[in-house]
Amino acid sequence: MQIAVSGGKGGTGKSTVAINMTIALRERYDLVLADLDVEAPNDHLLLGVELANEEPVELFMPRFDYSKCTRCRKCAEVCEEHAIITMRDGTPFLMPNLCSGCAACEIVCQVPGAILPGKKLMGHTYLTETPYGFPLVTGRLLEGEERAMPIVSRAKKRAQALGKELLLVDTAAGTSNTVSKALEDSRLIIAVTEPTPLGIHDGELILRLAKLMDIPAMVVVNRSDLGDVGRVREIAERYGAEVIAEIPYSENIIRSYVEGKPIVLGDYPEAGIFREIASRVVEFLGGGE
Amino acid sequence: MQLVIASGKGGVGKSTVTASLLYLLKDEYRFVAVDADADAPNLDLLLGVEHWEEEKELIGAKVARINTESCIRCGICQERCPYDCIKVIDGDYVVSELTCEGCNVCGLVCPVPGTITLEEVRSGVVRKTTTRYGFPLISAQLDVGRPNSGKLVTEEKEWAKKLMGELGLEHMIVDSAAGIGCQVIASIGGADLTILVAEPTPASLSDVQRAYRVVQHFRQPAYLIINKSDFNPGFTALREWAETEGIPILGEIPYDRAIPRSMSMLKPFVEAFPDSKAADAMREIAERVRKEILK
Repeated sequence: MQIAVSGGKGGTGKSTVAINMTIALRERYDLVLADLDVEAPNDHLLLGVELANEEPVELFMPRFDYSKCTRCRKCAEVCEEHAIITMRDGTPFLMPNLCSGCAACEIVCQVPGAILPGKKLMGHTYLTETPYGFPLVTGRLLEGEERAMPIVSRAKKRAQALGKELLLVDTAAGTSNTVSKALEDSRLIIAVTEPTPLGIHDGELILRLAKLMDIPAMVVVNRSDLGDVGRVREIAERYGAEVIAEIPYSENIIRSYVEGKPIVLGDYPEAGIFREIASRVVEFLGGGE
Repeated sequence: MQLVIASGKGGVGKSTVTASLLYLLKDEYRFVAVDADADAPNLDLLLGVEHWEEEKELIGAKVARINTESCIRCGICQERCPYDCIKVIDGDYVVSELTCEGCNVCGLVCPVPGTITLEEVRSGVVRKTTTRYGFPLISAQLDVGRPNSGKLVTEEKEWAKKLMGELGLEHMIVDSAAGIGCQVIASIGGADLTILVAEPTPASLSDVQRAYRVVQHFRQPAYLIINKSDFNPGFTALREWAETEGIPILGEIPYDRAIPRSMSMLKPFVEAFPDSKAADAMREIAERVRKEILK
């Protein structure tokens, strides 16, 4: 079973919600948290742990054996990314930065051994134990690499392979297909937004994606005193999503964030809000009875 | 000159700072602004844009489709899809349009010719307007669930370049997306320098370090603006990192409620609250940009 925390705009507090919710839910479920914001993964920093158990994510990259290549150009023609260019005589060259690792070139090549399976390192996945009794899986794209999708896909598989009762996914910002990949298979999306015009604009996009993917959504309004929560409610209603929590702008949250101490574990009044979010999730998943 | 504003982490104030910087530079320089966060474009909102003068659809994304009539349900496409985008729904093999990268591997391995086709779909729109401040803005909006292609950003920058020629503009100022992926690479690639925006938190430091490595990859100079600079007084690692790397700090903007308030007014904070302490800091930054960057 999987639920996801997402939110359109960057910096609205997705990771804060994901972490505190996970900690609040760990008593009910045997769970794992997956940080699939692979361009900017931060859950480990918020949990105060160092990433561990690194595994490389390598993609197929063609290597040409020019002694066998017949210069037929099929590999270049089939490459949707135009990563293979050919010289006038048909000799292929790879531009590694453009290669998506899909292996289409190898599939169409008719000369056995003319295209050899080289590898390109795209990033890493990590499996880190946290002091809170659940593991964290993190995907991390290598700087300078453009393609987040393979890392998202691999990190998610690594988390799924743990076979936990509940998988919590923290996605990247935005609504591109790497976010859809992270959201896929979720029973519920917790959309974190802010009541500012920017937050509302981007929050609506994530609700639209949830609708397209046919996944129920609930909305958490962060920094709720910095704008008009009524507008968020209107939009949420339009997409059949309920606003389940409002988190005011809070020095306490910032302080615990900076100290790497999840606020849900302390005595600040804000801790109650995160416990309430968790209990709404439990109720939704049918674990309340 | 082409300069980019990037941050790695989202929500640290990149667009807020950009909008105010554009506002402070508008009378002296002739430039085009580009919002390269095609996933979640916000610069138009911060600049009070109400309508677009021109809009182009960008057809560029490709999505595989399986013809269920001729499909023999051998499952090879599902097995070979590098991104697990093919599902079996009610016995039919179906490509998930919201995760497909358009690589066409399924089409190549399918034994029945013509069963799997690669179709072009809309990736989103690229649009242009003239802001009420007089300078043009190019923005884009990726359609929900499309491959997050830097192509949209490249298209935006092409349009911006054309506009520079037509209108005789000197500079292109690009507000990049968060992260370090294809949109950011398309933003930073080809630029002259990058201004990084970060806040003094471990998460923002970690992400801005990653963005800086992308800048280094393109061998460009970088500058740093520290936003919400007083928000975490004990945290000195951001400044120390900038010093160690030799990244000049253009200035520090203190946390100021004037900024979120200006956002709901849809105005750059230097315009909405010119007497705020954040606006003072921003004017100093703009001064350094004039003297050290745009000259």
